[in-house]
Amino acid sequence: MKLLDSLRIVWRNLWRMKLRTILTSVGVMIGTAAIVAMISLSLGLRENAVKSLENFGNLTEMDVQPAYMSPDGQTPIPPEQMKKLNYQAVQELKQIEGIESVIPVKSLQGGAQIKLGRREGDIQLMGIDVHESRSSKSDEIEKGTYLTGSANEIVVTYEMPRMMRDVEKERREARKRNASGAGSDPMMQGGYPPYGMEGGGSDAATVDMVGKTATLVINRQFMVDNEPKFEKKEIRVRVVGQLAKSDGMSRFGGNMAFVPLEMINELNKWLNPEGMNQGFDPYGGMQPQQKRTRSRTEQEEVIFDSITVKVGSREQVEPTLERVQRIGFEIYSPARALKEINQFFFVVQLILGGIAAISLLVASIGIINTMIMSILERTREIGIMKVIGATVYNIRWLFLIESGFIGLIGGISGLGLAWGAVQLLNYVARSNPEFSNVLGGGGPGGPEGIQQLAVVPLWLAGFAVGFAFLIGILAGIFPAFRASRLSPLQAIRSE
Amino acid sequence: MSNGPGELTVKDVQHSYGTGKIKVPVLYDINVHIDNREFVALCGTSGSGKSTLLSLMAGLTRPDAGQIHINGEEISRYNENELCLFRRRCMGFVFQSFNLLPNLTALENVELPLIFAGESVKRRRQRAADMLAMVGLDGRTGHKPNELSGGQQQRVSIARALVNNPSIVLADEPTGNLDSVTEKEILQLMRQMNREHGTTFVIVTHDTEVANQSDRVIHLQDGRVVQKDTTMIHAT
Ligand SMILES: Nc1ncnc2c1ncn2[C@@H]1O[C@H](COP(=O)(O)OP(=O)(O)OP(=O)(O)O)[C@@H](O)[C@H]1O
Ligand SMILES: [Mg+2]
Repeated sequence: MKLLDSLRIVWRNLWRMKLRTILTSVGVMIGTAAIVAMISLSLGLRENAVKSLENFGNLTEMDVQPAYMSPDGQTPIPPEQMKKLNYQAVQELKQIEGIESVIPVKSLQGGAQIKLGRREGDIQLMGIDVHESRSSKSDEIEKGTYLTGSANEIVVTYEMPRMMRDVEKERREARKRNASGAGSDPMMQGGYPPYGMEGGGSDAATVDMVGKTATLVINRQFMVDNEPKFEKKEIRVRVVGQLAKSDGMSRFGGNMAFVPLEMINELNKWLNPEGMNQGFDPYGGMQPQQKRTRSRTEQEEVIFDSITVKVGSREQVEPTLERVQRIGFEIYSPARALKEINQFFFVVQLILGGIAAISLLVASIGIINTMIMSILERTREIGIMKVIGATVYNIRWLFLIESGFIGLIGGISGLGLAWGAVQLLNYVARSNPEFSNVLGGGGPGGPEGIQQLAVVPLWLAGFAVGFAFLIGILAGIFPAFRASRLSPLQAIRSE
Repeated sequence: MSNGPGELTVKDVQHSYGTGKIKVPVLYDINVHIDNREFVALCGTSGSGKSTLLSLMAGLTRPDAGQIHINGEEISRYNENELCLFRRRCMGFVFQSFNLLPNLTALENVELPLIFAGESVKRRRQRAADMLAMVGLDGRTGHKPNELSGGQQQRVSIARALVNNPSIVLADEPTGNLDSVTEKEILQLMRQMNREHGTTFVIVTHDTEVANQSDRVIHLQDGRVVQKDTTMIHAT
C-alpha cells in the first residue's frame, strides 16, 4: 500500500466525520497552544532578562582573575599557589575549548598626557594584545581603524576628544587672573607659541583626532640621594581610530586609550627600572603582586591588569566558565548570572510545560476515545477491507495515521493559536511600556523597553507540531491494534 | 496432499461456533475437492453450514480441525496476516449484500484491492475501468453504491472480486438479494467470467436456477456433505 494512498484514505475518513475530527483535535489544539504559549513566554522573559544583563557589557567577553577559592568554593587557595595573570596564563587560557581569543591588557604604571596641537589631556594608556583583540574590538571602532599591529599606534575612546583641554585658552585665562593679581600658576612652564585667534567659550568644540599624529608625554620620578628627580619621555603616536560610544557602563574611564601591549611593556620598564625604585611605588603598594614578582629574580615577568577572554556565543559562556574555573581562575562578569537565569527559566519551563503536558494527556485520551468509536462504526468496513485484500498491517497503519492526523491537525491549529496569542501579547507589551516593565524590562535598557515579550522560535514550533503528531500516533496504537485484530467474519456480520 | 492453481481441497474439516463449554458444532468431517475452472454450487437448507464452509474456504475463520488447501497452499495453517495476503493474491469474494464501501464510487470500490496491493494509480485505474466495462458498467464508474441498483451493485462487487485476477472466486448467495431477471444476468456474468478467465467459482445458493447453471452441486445437510440426485432438487 502506497503512502499517498493511505493518506488519501485517512483524509477521506477524517473528512467524513468532520465534526468529530475537529472536536477531538480541539483537545490537542488547546494542549499544544498551552505548551507553545507558555514555553515561548518563558523563553521571551529569559531573553529579556539576558538582554538586560547585556546592558552591563558584552556577555561573551569576560574578565579572568586568579581564583581565591578552589572550584568547590570551600577551600581557599594558598597565595603562593594562586594563578597569576601572566603570559603563561594567557597560553593556558588559549588552550581552553570554547575560548576564541584571549586579550591581555596591561595599563601604564603611571600617568600620561596626550598632546595634539594646542590641546592636551590626561590619558590612561592600556596596552592590549593587538592580534588577539582585533576580532572583537574592531566592531567597536567608530572612526578610523583598529590597531593594525604596527608600533606607535593609538586608539582613543569616543569621549577622548571631548576631554582634551585647550591649553592655550586656559593659559590665557590664567594670565588674565595673573593680571588681576591672583598669583602665579606653578603649572605654567611656558614654551608654547601664543595663538591669538581662539574665541572664548569653545569648550564644546572638539577636535577630530583620528588620522592625526599626537604626542604622548610620560614622566618618571626617581630618587637619587633621597632627592626626587623628574624625567620626561615623549613618544610620537598616530591616532588610528576612535571607539564608538559605548552605551553600557564602560569598565574604563573616558580618557582611556588602547596602544599595543609591547609599547606599554617598554614604557613600564622605563618607568620602573629594576633596582632603581626599590623604595618607590607610584601606586603606593596598591599592587602587592607586582612588588613581589619584581623582588624576585624573574624580572621580565609581566603581570597583566586583566585578561579578557572571548567566547563564540552566549551558549558557550557557561561551559567555558566551568573550564576556566577548573584551571584555577575565576571569572567576574555579568555572564555569571546567565547560569542562574538559565536555571531559573529551565525550572519555569518545566513547570509550565508540565501543566500543558497534562492537557495533552487529556487530549490524547480524547483521541483514543474517538478512534475506538470510529472502529465500532467502521467494523463492517474493516471486515470488508480485510476480505478484499487489506492486511493486518494495512489496517493498523491506516488507523495509526488517522489518529496521528488528528494530533497533527490539533498541533498545527494549536501552534497557530499560540502564535496569535503571542503576537497579541507582544503587541500589548509594546504599546504599554509600564506593562512590559512589570514583566521584566527593569534593566538599564530603559527606554527601548521590550520588543518581544514572548518568542516562538522555529524549534519550538517544529517540536510542538511533531509532539502533537506523536501524541496522536501514540493514542492510536491501542485502537489500531484493536481494529486490525477484528475477525473479518464477525466484522462483516455486524450491522 | 497437494493441488494446483485454481484447485480447492477441504479435508476432514470440522467446525463449531462458540467458546468454552457451549460449543455448537456446525460442520462435521467435510471432504470436498473442487477442480480448476470448475463452477460449483454449494446448496443446502438454511442453517446447514454453507456460509460457514465458504468462510473457512476464504480463510475468514480457521477450522477447528482438518485442512484446507487452495492453489497448493495449506491456508488452514496461515495466521491472520498470511490469510489476508493470500486473499489479496489468489481470491475474490462476493457477498450477498454486495458490501461495497458506501462512500467510494464504483471505480474506487473496484480499485480498492489494488490500492492495498500497492498498484500504481495509473495501472489500477485502467484495470478497474476495464473490469467495470467487462461487467457492463462503463457508464457508471463515478456512481456511489447508493446510486446503483442492486444488480449493478453486485456487478461492481463481481468486478472487485476479479480485479486482482484471482484463481478462485467465492460467492455467498450472490443473487439472494436480486429479482429473478437480474439473478439470471448476474449468473450469466459469473459463468462468462468462469469461461473467459478460467476462474474457479464456488457459489453458495439455495436457488435451483443457480444450481442448474453450475457444473456440479455440493449438498450440505446438517453440517455434512450428502450425495443427492440432481433430479431430486428438480422434484422439490
Ligand atoms: N457466529 C456464529 N455464532 C454461533 N453460531 C453461528 C454463528 N454463525 C452461524 N452459526 C450457526 O451455525 C449454523 C450454520 O450457519 P450458516 O450461516 O453457515 O448457515 P447457512 O447454511 O449459511 O444458512 P443460510 O442459508 O440461512 O444462510 C447455524 O445453525 C447458525 O446458527
Ligand atoms: Mg448463509
